[in-house]
Amino acid sequence: MSGLSSQFWHSVNGRMLRAAWARPQFKVALVFLIALIALAVLLPMLSSVSATTISVRDRFAPPVLWEGGTASHLFGTDQLGRDLLLRSLIGLRNALVIGVVSVFGMFVLGALIGIISGYRGGIVDTVLMRITDAQMSIPVIILAITILGVSRPTPFSVILVLILAGWPTYARVIRSVTLTESRKEFVRAAKIIGAGPLRIMFRHIAPNILPPVAFIAVLDVARMMIFEAIFGFIGIGIQPPVPTFGNILADGTKYLINAWWITVVPGLFLFAALISLNLIGSALESARNDVLGGRNQ
Amino acid sequence: MAFVLTFLLRRLSQGIVIVLLVGFVIFSLLRIVPGDPVRIMVGPMATEEQVEQIAEELGLRDPLPVQFGRYLSDLARGDLGNSFIKATSGASVAGGRDDGSAARAQVLDLIVAAIPFSALLAGLGVLLALIFSIPLGIAAGLYPNGWIGRATFAISSVFVSLPNIWLGILLILIISVQLGWLPAIGYKGVAYAVLPAIVLAVELSAVIVRALASSVAATMQENFVQAGIVRGLTMRHMITHHVLRNSAIPMLNLFGAQLGGLLLGSLFVVEYIFNYPGLGLLTVNAVFQRDFPVIQGVAILTTAVLVLINILVDLISAGIDRRLQY
Amino acid sequence: MSATRRSFLKSGLALGGIAATSQLSAPFVRTALAGQSSNSVIFASGEPLTGNWDPTSHTILGQINFEGYVFGRLTKTPMRPENPSEIQYELATGHKVISENILEWTLRQGITFHNGKPFKAEDVKATFEYASQPGKSAWYPGPVDVEIVDDYTVRLNTENHGYPATAYILLASFLPIMSAEDIADGAISQTPNGTGPFKFVEQRGDETIMAAFDDFHEGRPIIDEFRFAYMGDANTRVLALLGGEADIIERLEPEQHDTLAERDGVRVKRTVSTENKYLHFRCNKAPFDDVRLRKAVCHAIDRDLITEILGAAGHASSSYVSPVKLGGSDIANYPTYDPEESQRLLAEAGYPRGNGLPELEYITSTGFYPKTKEYGELITALLQEQGFNVKLTVLETAAWLERIYQPESGEAPGHLVDVGWATGSPEPDLVLRPMWHSSQSLITGFEDAEVDAALDAQQAEGDPAARLKLIEEGVMPKLADKVPSLSLFTSVLIHGMQSNLEGAYFYPNGPIDLSKASYT
Repeated sequence: MSGLSSQFWHSVNGRMLRAAWARPQFKVALVFLIALIALAVLLPMLSSVSATTISVRDRFAPPVLWEGGTASHLFGTDQLGRDLLLRSLIGLRNALVIGVVSVFGMFVLGALIGIISGYRGGIVDTVLMRITDAQMSIPVIILAITILGVSRPTPFSVILVLILAGWPTYARVIRSVTLTESRKEFVRAAKIIGAGPLRIMFRHIAPNILPPVAFIAVLDVARMMIFEAIFGFIGIGIQPPVPTFGNILADGTKYLINAWWITVVPGLFLFAALISLNLIGSALESARNDVLGGRNQ
Repeated sequence: MAFVLTFLLRRLSQGIVIVLLVGFVIFSLLRIVPGDPVRIMVGPMATEEQVEQIAEELGLRDPLPVQFGRYLSDLARGDLGNSFIKATSGASVAGGRDDGSAARAQVLDLIVAAIPFSALLAGLGVLLALIFSIPLGIAAGLYPNGWIGRATFAISSVFVSLPNIWLGILLILIISVQLGWLPAIGYKGVAYAVLPAIVLAVELSAVIVRALASSVAATMQENFVQAGIVRGLTMRHMITHHVLRNSAIPMLNLFGAQLGGLLLGSLFVVEYIFNYPGLGLLTVNAVFQRDFPVIQGVAILTTAVLVLINILVDLISAGIDRRLQY
Repeated sequence: MSATRRSFLKSGLALGGIAATSQLSAPFVRTALAGQSSNSVIFASGEPLTGNWDPTSHTILGQINFEGYVFGRLTKTPMRPENPSEIQYELATGHKVISENILEWTLRQGITFHNGKPFKAEDVKATFEYASQPGKSAWYPGPVDVEIVDDYTVRLNTENHGYPATAYILLASFLPIMSAEDIADGAISQTPNGTGPFKFVEQRGDETIMAAFDDFHEGRPIIDEFRFAYMGDANTRVLALLGGEADIIERLEPEQHDTLAERDGVRVKRTVSTENKYLHFRCNKAPFDDVRLRKAVCHAIDRDLITEILGAAGHASSSYVSPVKLGGSDIANYPTYDPEESQRLLAEAGYPRGNGLPELEYITSTGFYPKTKEYGELITALLQEQGFNVKLTVLETAAWLERIYQPESGEAPGHLVDVGWATGSPEPDLVLRPMWHSSQSLITGFEDAEVDAALDAQQAEGDPAARLKLIEEGVMPKLADKVPSLSLFTSVLIHGMQSNLEGAYFYPNGPIDLSKASYT
């Protein structure tokens, strides 16, 4: 093991990851999620048809195990004869991308505000924290429905709305990390000997952000995937024919009686991804508590 | 009690600033997006002059700050304005080339009419969630490593991973369509609120159970509890008198900060899935119909409610735990 | 065409609801269904009424249906596909073309309005002059002067307005006759007062209550009471029919049609409508200002697949107007599915395999017409197959409505637009002129001198047979050649009703004649 990685494994982040890995639920969920992602990436590449290939004459084919199902469509087809397995996987891929990108965006925005607020303190801190307070009192779903409903929703605007809705948590957590760290002796000392604020942030504060934030981020990816599905379902998410969980489910509700699988199948894939993410997230949370001790942030 | 008053005053004034801010953001947002509500009101056949005339009458061509100022002064008198779309009769006036001889409904009336439905649904949802979560959460907190603790963890993991839209559809499919046990769409009686309330309850329970379990577990580790047990107080006494009381504060805070928003959000989605005629459906339809006054009214009202809940929760938790500083 | 409340979870859930109603027992059963008197008919409308009863104040199909019960018209046009231009006289007893600009109507005697006022020539004069004012309604070709010859004879005169009076022969079946007094004092927007089989009683929430009109000139309706109830959700309407809370329901989804057709106690009725669904090109902006590209699109679309998706809600047709309208028979040179021709035209226009084409936006709606989203996705896929870079925008009815028309200034949004056009008369000009005459071209922005000339020529022709020939041989082949739009299919109206209700006549634009209906 090289010096750097050995150093990593003994850092707070490394210890947290090792503690998480020690939990069976973390391992199982991680492997399962990776398998699911691999399937979502590989199968559409290998398949001869695409998730948007319409074949009107093949529509409403049930999953293979049901009467009338065919092996060419393992999980059945939808109202336009499109393969549901492929559509679910592409939907999963899109949801994951939206989830990860938006959580990353929240993290960056939250970190920026949290670090400035915690580092500068004083009036800047008060104002920024009042803004986060205010933001947390806003009924986000109404804001989201309004913004997306009256504009033309695109992947970009969906991500933007999610970032707007989610950043305050990160700002608060990172602010408190910044506060704790900058009170420490060696940081004060570094300030006195003239280390610039950027250097202090990167050397002393940044490495300590991960443990309190990692689990929130993983759980948030799952939450954002649900939001994305909700937007799609209401019709204010990414527009068809791009498959998303929301728009597949919304279409499927029209065919609950004659083709229940259109709603059940994609939901199963979404559920599988969400439960893996939630198990990983809660394992990380426990691991953080083991490493840092206590439950307080 | 003076500090309670100053606390209230400070928080209320902050709250008003927040509500105004939200109001202004939504107000401006609705006016900068493309899409002319007047065109929807008068229908496609109206001429451009008619559109302009009605827009003038409604004051939609005035500068934004003027419009907002007027809105605020009306708001101060309890007037949220009139719907662009809905008539007093409940009928829709969109598409008619008519300027207002069919009286357009007061936004306040529309909201007031929708609130009982949403309140019933939310109340039922919270009730179901509490009935389910409190026993389970306490049991799991007392025995975090026993089978009940593990089972609770598993259940809450499943619950938190069930997307509300999918759960709603599954319930409709199984309970309503296949089994025919409960009606699902619209509202004609309390039975119509049961399935949507279950969806709400599942979402809330996922959060409550876990928070309650870890809060109880943490309290059990506190010195005074351990000491009490050593002093020979019964376990039952300790739990009912000390543990629950101490676990209540984080639970209340949870209800204020997190569950208020969560409940509101899921209420909107669930009402939409089940076509349930509450505030959520009113708002979603208003967004689709560009019914700006309704959207503004709901946004301002719900923000105010959230702010009030947060203030209330802080007051109550301060009451429970007198050590807390105002 | 109006904003409806978004209705979703349509067919599937309606069926679910069926299961729910039929199997519901104890404690949650919906209690007592609305006390259904055997002589009352409740109609569940998919669209609400506006509350302004002036028939010229709106373009809402639901309200046009309502007017069918309360108001009378000079003529009725049953619009049966085998004889689209058949005219039955209602308030008129005959018409005569005096000259190109003068059309004479003789009126039926002994008819009274619901408020007791006798119907006379002055009412026809007031109605026609009121409704045809410019800016009042897009349905009428222009202002008209009405001369009263005697109490029961009127002459429509268009000499001063530059179009033939014969335009009103078929349009007469579409204009509700109002009382001259009501028009003069504005009462028409407050209370509906007509000569129809049912008279308005009151508005109760979403329900409009009407009672049989004792002095109806064709004889008092057998039904005593008629209620017009707004139920925006298709699923709710089906449930209401099955639960006995409604006796006739409209706007069924094809899946609902198929399921209801198999059930006892209810009947379904399919009526080929006056409405065609069109894929309109924005002809006044690039790239669809090039006819070759429009044709390339037309040849890329397999309309058989679309009608397959529509099932019971669609009727295959290859004309620019519905087969129940004058001149709606299939056009010989109508574009067919031909991918090779599509490729050839693309290459000829300078975009081989679609290379170099900008992104094309295809705007459609959801929640109003059946299956628009489904076939919208199909058309998008078919066009992408030929190399068109098409993006589908599915909008809620209200948002879609504000984007479909050509604005007074600037460019209309999108490149392809899905719109239907339903009108209550066999008169083809109600579609042809607003859509493709350069004086209007409401959606396409299409301007073509040859098409204009052909449209004007048929309008000026007073003789119906000669006019039909001018439409079939002059207008339609030109439209099919220049394809400012592609008509995809003709809509089919689907009604459901209690199976013991007999004698209702369903007009192809939505209204229902219940004046002779009864329960058996």
